Amino acid sequence: MFRNLSVRLVSLFKRERMEQELDAELRYHVDMLTDQNVTRGMAPDAARREALRVFGPVAGVKDDVRDSWLSRFVEVAAQDIRYGMRSLRRNPGFALVIIITMALGIGANTAIFSVVNAVLLRPLPYTDGDKLVVLHHGPNIQSDPTNNDVGFSAKEMDDYRQARSLSGVVEFHNMFFNLLGRAEPERLSTGVVSANYFDVLGVKPEHGRAFVEADDTPGAPAVLILSYKYWERSFGGDPSVVGKVFRMNDKPHTVVGILPPVPQYPLEVDIYMPSSACPFRSAQQTRDNRRGRMLTAFARVRPEVELRKSQADLDILATQLVANYKDDYPRTGFGAVAVPLKDELTRDFTTTLWILLGTAGFVLLIVCASIANLLLARMVRREREISVRAALGATRARLLRQLLTESLILAVTGGVLGLVLSAFSLKLLTTFAERFTPRAHEISIDLNVLFFTLGVSVLTGLIFGSIPAFARRVDVAPALREGTRGTQSSQKIRSGLIVAQVSASFMLLIAAGLTLRSLMQVQGVDPGFKTENLLTLRADMSFDKIPLTLPQPERRQRISAYWSDFEDRLRTIPGVLDLGGSGTFPLNENEPFPRGFEREFHPLPPDTPRPQVSFRFATPDYFTTFGQPVVAGRAFQSSDTLDAPLVAIVSQSAAKKHWPNEDPVGKRIRGGPQSPWVTIVGIVADVRQQLDRSPADELYVPLRQNPLLSTTWVIHSRLPVDQLVQGVKRVAQAHDSELPVSNFRTLAEVRSSALAPRRAVVSLIGLFGLLALVITAAGIAGVIAFSVNQRTQEFGIRMALGAPRAGVLALVVREGLVLVVIGLAIGMFGAIVLTRALGSVIFAQQPTTGLTLLFNITATDSLTYAGVAAVLVFVALVACLMPARRAASVDPMIALRAQ
Amino acid sequence: MAPKSDLLQGTLDLLILRTLSGDPMHGWGISQRIQQLSKDVLQVNQGSLYPALHRLEQQGLIEAEWGSSENNRQAKFYQLTREGRKKLAEETKNWERLSSAVARVLAGI
Repeated sequence: MFRNLSVRLVSLFKRERMEQELDAELRYHVDMLTDQNVTRGMAPDAARREALRVFGPVAGVKDDVRDSWLSRFVEVAAQDIRYGMRSLRRNPGFALVIIITMALGIGANTAIFSVVNAVLLRPLPYTDGDKLVVLHHGPNIQSDPTNNDVGFSAKEMDDYRQARSLSGVVEFHNMFFNLLGRAEPERLSTGVVSANYFDVLGVKPEHGRAFVEADDTPGAPAVLILSYKYWERSFGGDPSVVGKVFRMNDKPHTVVGILPPVPQYPLEVDIYMPSSACPFRSAQQTRDNRRGRMLTAFARVRPEVELRKSQADLDILATQLVANYKDDYPRTGFGAVAVPLKDELTRDFTTTLWILLGTAGFVLLIVCASIANLLLARMVRREREISVRAALGATRARLLRQLLTESLILAVTGGVLGLVLSAFSLKLLTTFAERFTPRAHEISIDLNVLFFTLGVSVLTGLIFGSIPAFARRVDVAPALREGTRGTQSSQKIRSGLIVAQVSASFMLLIAAGLTLRSLMQVQGVDPGFKTENLLTLRADMSFDKIPLTLPQPERRQRISAYWSDFEDRLRTIPGVLDLGGSGTFPLNENEPFPRGFEREFHPLPPDTPRPQVSFRFATPDYFTTFGQPVVAGRAFQSSDTLDAPLVAIVSQSAAKKHWPNEDPVGKRIRGGPQSPWVTIVGIVADVRQQLDRSPADELYVPLRQNPLLSTTWVIHSRLPVDQLVQGVKRVAQAHDSELPVSNFRTLAEVRSSALAPRRAVVSLIGLFGLLALVITAAGIAGVIAFSVNQRTQEFGIRMALGAPRAGVLALVVREGLVLVVIGLAIGMFGAIVLTRALGSVIFAQQPTTGLTLLFNITATDSLTYAGVAAVLVFVALVACLMPARRAASVDPMIALRAQ
Repeated sequence: MAPKSDLLQGTLDLLILRTLSGDPMHGWGISQRIQQLSKDVLQVNQGSLYPALHRLEQQGLIEAEWGSSENNRQAKFYQLTREGRKKLAEETKNWERLSSAVARVLAGI
């Protein structure tokens, strides 16, 4: 019988060798026949022909032989499966528990893998997506491509188009424009791109056409392409919108195309326009200014060129540029670095994803141990059945195969169920991943995921199946004699599995605990301002609202007055207590721009970069609205107009850093040699732009002296939000019917959404931890219950001899707790080793968000360790107590008679 | 392809098992022996022997090993397993019962 199994395995894995052997075998026969014919006096040729005739068609014979291999394999497998199903049906509860446990483990892994697959493994959904790169450009670019990136100017774009290894270099920048001519003015996020942008990315419009070279020439009629999402949302997916004309900025824009539902990089925008249609990009000043850097560059590396080669190309170009335009590149190491677009889009998510996949893997390990334990317990009960089969001549291999088949049935059923579970969680996962990467919408269950699930299920089944199968020695006689008593070795393995489960659960719970504590720490952070009863909104005036033909000073005056008027109108809404205007506000996704400045009487040594501050705008009441105290000097006043001396306010951090031993109030600063001097009039307390980052050095200037087209407003009011929003819309309409007001959010919502990524990670790891805890608790309860069952007689004797019930109870509980404590010790050791090994990862700042996985706690946070240990011990205690109480309630007489 | 002989289903298996009840033999030897012992009455299409051999091997009734043949070439030698021996005894008995029953019926007419 063992040969039988081996033939079957051989037929699976060594098919080729079997074929060769069959060839040799048949050839031998034909050769012998030929020889025989030759000895009978036939000519060699005729002898061979006759031999082949007598033998029959060789190909047909081979087919028949192969059939015999296959049919036998199928027959045996079918037999095993039939038998396995029958034996599982006899114990449906047991099978169900295993299948559910398995489904949870596989579900968790499939879910996370489907994200890994979509985000990290699959190529970008563009033609040859792997050849697309982002170019980072700035000083010392090699050392930190992300943070040193200053973008490209229009001139520099043209220069880098010379790179011969790149088949297309295209630009992108994001603007907000107002679309007019519909019921309400709409503020649209706009991607301003090169004419061949979509060609280089490899995207064809769903309706209409892409941009062509002629669209991107100065004075060409302005055209728009709509994103699929915006088209669906705003036009209900009506293709007749192609050809429609809307007013935008100072001219009519015609819709020429609609994109297919592809993920948009680098960010999701509503519409696209060619660079000639953007009033800023097409201005002569922008086109001529080598230092006017505002563009993001994408490029396609030529198919035959390696990324490394194209980098050499870029380096040469950079060297030439720096040599030719010394003044425009004062800082060292100016250059461009090509980074694969795919890496760029997933960078902030990669670490989190691998850690999540790791935790899901831990869950699967625990699932594996738990099921192996259940199977072991069942093995002991099936001892008789198995012994009888062995006695009747079933070989060890045959029995092993049977047991593994049963495990595989369970594993695959559980796996399929897990796949269904994970399919249901896809929407949730997309929402989760959206916070990290624009690739989130590509998450799906594809062939890769199916293979992964199948592979992991089978592997898991083989592992949890082979532990009990191999643990059992096929000693027929003792098992038959002993009745149902389990063997010592299987008890040891069961204990070992419990220890393993507890230690893995401990590590998982530590991960959950540490991230949860970090979240709590972040939530406890004082941002430096109030978040209650504050409503935020955006107001964006059209670019051409104040005619561009006006001289610049007058235009600034008019814009300034426009917002002052708007502010006054907002104040008339009944119930408004306070309000402030700005460019952006803390906790918002839009961060203030860093800008360089210099202090009066502190000339910078040549070649030193100017110190940087976060540049913010504020109306006079901005600070009181936020409850951000002015600690020295004064706040802005309504008299700080464009006609008055220019003033600024610094934050405490900035004051401490740049005026360490003096009072900054009264000192003067400026943006650069050509900029006017600005007097510092006050110091305000620090605020945090992000809760998990320390406050930046900030510089505030009056909105009135520095008019903006796009503003944000914060309103302090106890009115219901809906009512307040209606009020704002009403006064905005009265102020300017073409002014869109949007992004209404309470500051509490903003704060909550700022924490959303962290909360999402915590909930996922927490869920895994909970899963592990439940499975482990069930495992402990199962093992102890089983052991109690086996020792019923012993307990009966003990009690008959006078052992108190409490004594028996303690005996059983101790048995369980010993395992738990050993598991805890190993888990603690493992957790310390693991966090140390991962230390550089979990405390590393994510490149763009600056997030760290752990915040404000150490990886060996004693509170977390103690808490997790306490929870595990408590749960284990409860799990032990249930079977222990049954042991203690054994009636000695019944127990003794039972055997 | 089914064997082009009038042999009853299972009869070829029985013949093979019987032939192998002695020393291990290769396929060529088995076919020669069957022809020789049956005095050429049983003309088996020789190729059809092999699917049967492999089926019996898969069923664990015979096992095979590569070895040197009488003319010093590598050949696959088959021999009965313990189960094959049991099966042979069983099938022989069945066959004898069947053939004597058939003989009796034929004699009766």
